[in-house]
Amino acid sequence: MSLLEARDIIKVYPNGVLANDGVSLSVEPREIHAIVGENGAGKSTLMKILYGLEQPTSGQIFLNDKPVEIDSTHTAIDMRIGMVHQNFMLVDSFTIAENIALGREPRKGITIDRKQAIEDTKALSKTYGLHVDALAKVEAVPVGMRQRVEILKALYRGAEILILDEPTAVLTPRETTDLFVAIRNLVKEGKTVIFITHKLREVMEISDRVTVMRDAKVVGTVTTAETSIPELARMMVGREVFMVVDKPPVQHGKPVLETKNLTYANEAGRALVNHVSFTAYESEILGIAGVEGNGQTELVEVLTGLREATSGEAWVDGQSIIGHGPRRVREARVTHIPEDRLSNGLARDASIVENLIIDRYYREPFTRRGILQPNAIRQNGRELIAQFGILAQSGDVPVGSLSGGNMQKVIVAREFSSSPRLLIAAQPTRGVDIGAIEFIHQQLVDKRTQGLSILLISADLQEVMKLADRIMVMYNGEVVAVLPNTPDLTEEHLGLYMLGAARQTHEEMEAAL
Amino acid sequence: MTAAAKPRQLIFWLMLIAIAVGVTLFLTVRLFSGSTPDEWYNNMLAAADYQSIVMVNALVGISVALLVHQLRWNALRVIVTVIVALILGYFMTVFFNLDTANKYTQGEFKVSVLSEATPVENTEVDLEYGLSRGGEFNKPNVKEPLTEAVYTFAGSQGDVVSILAFVANRRSTVNLEVELLGPDGTLLLASTGATEEEVERFSENDVRSADDAVLADFALPADGVYTIQARPEVVPFNVVIDEALTSTNAAYDAFLLGALGRVNRWASWIQDALTLILVGLSIAIVFRAQQFSLGAEGQLYLGALVSGAIVLSFTQLPALLLIPLAILGSMVAGFLWGLLPGALKAYLGANELVATLMLNTVAIRFFEMVLTMQLKPPGAGYNSSEVFVAAGQFQPIVANTQVTIAVYLVIITVIVTWLLITRTPLGYEIRMVGANRKFAEYGGVNTRRTIMLAMAVSGIVAGLAGAHLSMGIFRQLVSGMSFGLAFEGVVVALLARNNPLVIPFTGLLYAYLRAGAQFMERDANVSFEIVRIIQAVIILLITAEALVAFFQARRQRQRSLAHSSAVVAVEEGAHV
Repeated sequence: MSLLEARDIIKVYPNGVLANDGVSLSVEPREIHAIVGENGAGKSTLMKILYGLEQPTSGQIFLNDKPVEIDSTHTAIDMRIGMVHQNFMLVDSFTIAENIALGREPRKGITIDRKQAIEDTKALSKTYGLHVDALAKVEAVPVGMRQRVEILKALYRGAEILILDEPTAVLTPRETTDLFVAIRNLVKEGKTVIFITHKLREVMEISDRVTVMRDAKVVGTVTTAETSIPELARMMVGREVFMVVDKPPVQHGKPVLETKNLTYANEAGRALVNHVSFTAYESEILGIAGVEGNGQTELVEVLTGLREATSGEAWVDGQSIIGHGPRRVREARVTHIPEDRLSNGLARDASIVENLIIDRYYREPFTRRGILQPNAIRQNGRELIAQFGILAQSGDVPVGSLSGGNMQKVIVAREFSSSPRLLIAAQPTRGVDIGAIEFIHQQLVDKRTQGLSILLISADLQEVMKLADRIMVMYNGEVVAVLPNTPDLTEEHLGLYMLGAARQTHEEMEAAL
Repeated sequence: MTAAAKPRQLIFWLMLIAIAVGVTLFLTVRLFSGSTPDEWYNNMLAAADYQSIVMVNALVGISVALLVHQLRWNALRVIVTVIVALILGYFMTVFFNLDTANKYTQGEFKVSVLSEATPVENTEVDLEYGLSRGGEFNKPNVKEPLTEAVYTFAGSQGDVVSILAFVANRRSTVNLEVELLGPDGTLLLASTGATEEEVERFSENDVRSADDAVLADFALPADGVYTIQARPEVVPFNVVIDEALTSTNAAYDAFLLGALGRVNRWASWIQDALTLILVGLSIAIVFRAQQFSLGAEGQLYLGALVSGAIVLSFTQLPALLLIPLAILGSMVAGFLWGLLPGALKAYLGANELVATLMLNTVAIRFFEMVLTMQLKPPGAGYNSSEVFVAAGQFQPIVANTQVTIAVYLVIITVIVTWLLITRTPLGYEIRMVGANRKFAEYGGVNTRRTIMLAMAVSGIVAGLAGAHLSMGIFRQLVSGMSFGLAFEGVVVALLARNNPLVIPFTGLLYAYLRAGAQFMERDANVSFEIVRIIQAVIILLITAEALVAFFQARRQRQRSLAHSSAVVAVEEGAHV
């Protein structure tokens, strides 16, 4: 008997995209059912249909073997289906208890019974082992806790089936582990969890069964214990995936980026980047590892001119890049794949072509005698779209209409194509599907082999260990270790530095720098 | 380009030309009415500067074609928005016109009793044979208006009397009914009107229409005091509605076609449109950068002031020098008055909306101060400067109107603004800052400088609008010249989605509605407020874009559904 079943779901979006093509899915009670697939495979659409956010064009949904129609999220909630979105839907300025109670507030007369809300939150938190601070404001708590708030919110509304949409995309490895413990607790308490991801390692770790989607169809549902990562990857991509990149050994060249005592303190005076000094060389990928929130983001923003350093200096090819703004940094041939592509990597409403010239529009051949040259701009767009395999109807469509992976390709195309000396790649494969990850990884390695200096910041330790020549570990705003990436380097060893349990001596660090 | 695309392109261009020519012809034909083509043609030739009129009409036609060219099917969205607003306005006008039928229940009236018999002596009664009395029913703005008149007269058995109730003067349109009650209070006779014969027979006694009430040749059954009750007839609801519709139709006729009635009306539409287009362009520039600056009003006043001051100071200069100098002055004034809030926003983080509104007040007060203290001729009773010398006025291109060479100025400004936004690095920066400021910053754009320049350049265009007001329309500086024109510019810019090539159309359209409103007020006695309401509805509809998107999405979904079911059908067919 299945708890929730979708049968032959077809979903055609108004723009003609066929997102689900005869998809069937059956979820059993008290299981952790993973749904994997590349971006655009139709996972999210299917979940939106199950949660009432979208209506299927055709097909049926059964709950406890009875046909149901989920025409809105209210219906879904009434049917005890809850969903935790990738982007949290919380009111930042409210406390956690208020957020959890929002919409189902316990009342005392005509006013809201805050005390009751706080108690409910605490009780719920205890039952499911999802630790939250009921009185803290959402804006003040880390991402992991926000996610727990979202889960509690769904449980508070009586959810028996929980849909988690790429829950680990925003989490640190530690937070991911905590989340998995919590998910197992939920199942122990009788809940059913649908877990969407494209990280196969997580699937293997947490799920009971896996449904693989590709090109809007279900490729198959398998029991996790009877499958393997390579098999799942093959199902997902439809061909053999070479998870190893071809990385020839090269001797690194001259120094490109040098920083000295780079420090950034926030308004409160806390040093988020604390006296960071290092050197990055030609033909080298310098990986920056660290649990998210240990100053990597700020370091990148200081280096790219988006944030003003409190003190310290940095030079690219001997030219100072600190304190002159992003244009100066770009003029020094530094390019930047930003961490959050939607926030600053792209202008969604502008066309692809326009997004591809933000760093070069004022130069020849794009501007001649003070006039923009539409032909040159289009030409640039056409070339990059072809070269980087960006899937789009034309260069004139808004970037916002592309899939996540293609948006990332637009950024990569722009940042790779300006003949940089130094590439700062922050989370270059976050939220990108396996095929595109392969592509981006190979591009990074090829560029490094050709002489580029690359600074790779990633929350995915495996990615850093796969690509980097040297790894620099940041903890609490400081560089605590610099290690050559030798085959005998282990995740556990790096983990010690990342969690602040170990620290290299000055001499050890000097040796690696 | 594919082979199939070429004929489609060609058809599209032919359609655009057809639109432009069609609009030009329609306007010109309406303007010079005539029952036959010959008569029409002669009327046109008789008009002063008819070539210029036709040229301006052609420009209007081109504006409409540009709208379609720029927005394709979305052009319909703009037009539908306006039509929906007009329809809502129509129903509101009907609602306000429901009182039109009140004219049948209010007005002065008189009641007469006629008889050849000998009057009975009685001092207690109000009337006697041959006399009349009257009053006014439902007089407006009276605390207790008269709704029924009661008169008495004394009569003897057998007296043959005729009782008349009629309107007392030609302005009154009250529709009367009359009743006669006997001495014992019973209703003897009632009338709600007069037959044609009765109207004729009693015309000497001032009965004029069937709406008056006549009780003719009634033989009194007994001696005693009789009572006459006169009151307005109750107006049936269908008449109320009919009247409201009739007057609304008349109003809408004036509203929609009034501007094409005579050349001077047409000219007042065009001149207003020129100002609105300039202001709309100015606002589109800042809105493109996502800066909600409303500084156009102040910049406009300063532009007018500086151009006016230059014209009033250098009266000896020839027009060829004076006009460019004054225009330049207004542009500089607008530029500086835009640069100031721009710098405040970019470098000090001052909210541009608050800053520009404050600076508007400063500019307007400064304008009034200079006008009163410096420019006003001594002893003049009203707050305005002397009329500019001829060399300091824009030359009219249509005689006796304010349709001036500003037409060319506006054409140039439209083109330059379009080039600025789409073809210059600054324009690209403005667009990118508007699309995503963080992205622009990340890409190396100096976003502060961009914001500041966007506001300053917008000021230049608003300053130009000021020069147009002072040198083209008023030809002098007048207190309160703009009365909020700049804010109308916001609607113009929004309706055009800040596209400089669409703004000529939306400016013309909006000015047409404004002009129509004036003529409606004048011709059909409907208040200007209704236009304000239509305006508000337009703004609401624009802000409710989501609604349009919703309908579009629905339509597309239905289309794709039809498509997918067709595919299924084909596949099923294959199985068979």
